[in-house]
Amino acid sequence: MKKLFIITFSIAFIAIVVSCNEVKRKPNNVYVPDMAYSRAYETYADHSNLAQEGINYTNLPVAGTIARGEEFPFPLTKDMPGDTVNYAASKLIKSPIDSLSKKDYVEAERLYLINCAICHGTKLDGNGPLYKGGDGPYPAKPATLVGNATYEAMPEGQMFYSVMYGKNLMGSYASQLTRKQRWQIIRYIKMKQAQNNSGAAATAKN
Amino acid sequence: MILIRSIIRPFLLGSIIFFIFSFGNKVKAQDGKALFSQNCASCHAIDKKLTGPALKGVEDRWGGDRKKLHAWIHNSQAYLKTGDSYAVNLFNENNKIPMNAFPSLSDKDIDAILDYVKDWKPATTPAAATAGSGAPVQEGDNTLLFGILTLILAVIAFILLQVNSNLRKLSDSKEGVVSAEPIPFWKNRTYIAFVVIVLFLVGGYYTTKSAIGLGRNKDYQPIQPIYYSHKVHAGVNQINCLYCHGGAQDSKQASIPSLNVCMNCHAAINEYKGEKIYNEEGEEVNGTDQIKKLYEYAGFIPGKPWDPAKAKPIEWVKIHNLPDHVYFNHSQHIKAGKVQCQTCHGEITKMDEVKQFADLSMGWCINCHRTTQVQFKENGFYSIYEKYHEDLKNRKIDSAKGITVETIGGTECQKCHY
Repeated sequence: MKKLFIITFSIAFIAIVVSCNEVKRKPNNVYVPDMAYSRAYETYADHSNLAQEGINYTNLPVAGTIARGEEFPFPLTKDMPGDTVNYAASKLIKSPIDSLSKKDYVEAERLYLINCAICHGTKLDGNGPLYKGGDGPYPAKPATLVGNATYEAMPEGQMFYSVMYGKNLMGSYASQLTRKQRWQIIRYIKMKQAQNNSGAAATAKN
Repeated sequence: MILIRSIIRPFLLGSIIFFIFSFGNKVKAQDGKALFSQNCASCHAIDKKLTGPALKGVEDRWGGDRKKLHAWIHNSQAYLKTGDSYAVNLFNENNKIPMNAFPSLSDKDIDAILDYVKDWKPATTPAAATAGSGAPVQEGDNTLLFGILTLILAVIAFILLQVNSNLRKLSDSKEGVVSAEPIPFWKNRTYIAFVVIVLFLVGGYYTTKSAIGLGRNKDYQPIQPIYYSHKVHAGVNQINCLYCHGGAQDSKQASIPSLNVCMNCHAAINEYKGEKIYNEEGEEVNGTDQIKKLYEYAGFIPGKPWDPAKAKPIEWVKIHNLPDHVYFNHSQHIKAGKVQCQTCHGEITKMDEVKQFADLSMGWCINCHRTTQVQFKENGFYSIYEKYHEDLKNRKIDSAKGITVETIGGTECQKCHY
């Protein structure tokens, strides 16, 4: 009797201890679920059945909407496969941004480092951590933005085309950067190229 | 003697010529590599199809005719017009993406590149070198050991108590004291009271703990539809958090990247070659298979142009979840407050599978608001708090404690609950 008691007690104890060490794959229970989970439609909730329920919810702004402070849309569409007409035409499009204020320069640099430097390198040398001189996981060599005649001569409009629609293996960054941010980053690249060429540290215009 | 000299002379001459030749060859191959990485590597790899085809064996495919290749590389569009059937097929097979013209490359340069491609050998994979590292050693947890020790001590105490009572009974009967009929221990009031108290304590502990833990999910680590390793992406490959979760700086939500963000890199990266990955259960995870899963969701076939319209969203499992009655805004913390992601999410760059780092309880929020100093420096968002600036200057506020989030109203109820 005594032994039986001890054995069952120890087994139960060990079971409790062991079960505590498991990876927590399931969420905990909640107290008052209607206060914990939103009754309203939150971001990333299932929106697929809204139309059936008669809820008029539009996911995207009306076509042609321009956000406050945003630049005008890029006038060219993406080329069809095998066509380069618009890519060539993009050379003629002027950037709406002539110069960067000191604050904008810092912001453009920050955005460059987050979005571009991973491939094109913090020094704009086409050798970011994903390429690492061919040792990184990225198989293609990213463009050398500073120190390569092709990219130094490339007009800003054409750069914008590549950032907006993608070029070769580079994808489109239209979803990650606003038009204004894209023009700012391109201006930043041009300033870096000019700095490299003049040799002197060009200061951002104020 | 003459015979020997007559043999040695041509031998010497030959070896000198050989050395010059091989040295010259080496320089050429080096040039080829540099030229390749400058001009070709954006679109071509040697053993892998990228935007353009893999270059291995390119000369054989062109029938060994370097002149044709020279013409093609100098200006592929002009060469296409000659109607060469192989060139036309090549153009069509590669989705009609025209190859850039390279008029500046001389025939010699192109030969150097072709020689480099011909002599190229795949580097030994680093994965093989690290293969011996084996599965990660499980961290020892002492809870079980302590539990067993406590149990053994409890049993010993119980036995000693029994022995004690038996001894007393023996000594009593020796001295002739009539003792009462011994009570079995499960009817003994002391034992019953002891067990009840222990049960009450243990039960109470777990009841309270689970009641407090309702709705809290520290260490929650669900299985995601794709084994996505944050360690590989944000740690090893140094991708900024905001590259994928850009919403964290502009909006309430940190935003989960849509498939086009994944495909920015994974249109080209279709295999995993890094160190071995293990899931929480200790099983090895094949990274390349996980990338294939991504391609299934994206509707992407390697080598073909990707049509984003065919993609199906991946339903990731949300880990960090605040109750609906709490308002939390990412941009307020990241952009205005300049808080690092890791402050609340832990060392994401070292987690293969993400787990909830903080318990996200109200006490945890409030504690941080009480101790975190507001970063006024170069932060236009807080320029209206000039009074505090003056007070600090005039030593009205203890500068060691500084101005915390609490000072500017960070613990007001309505800040988060409304």
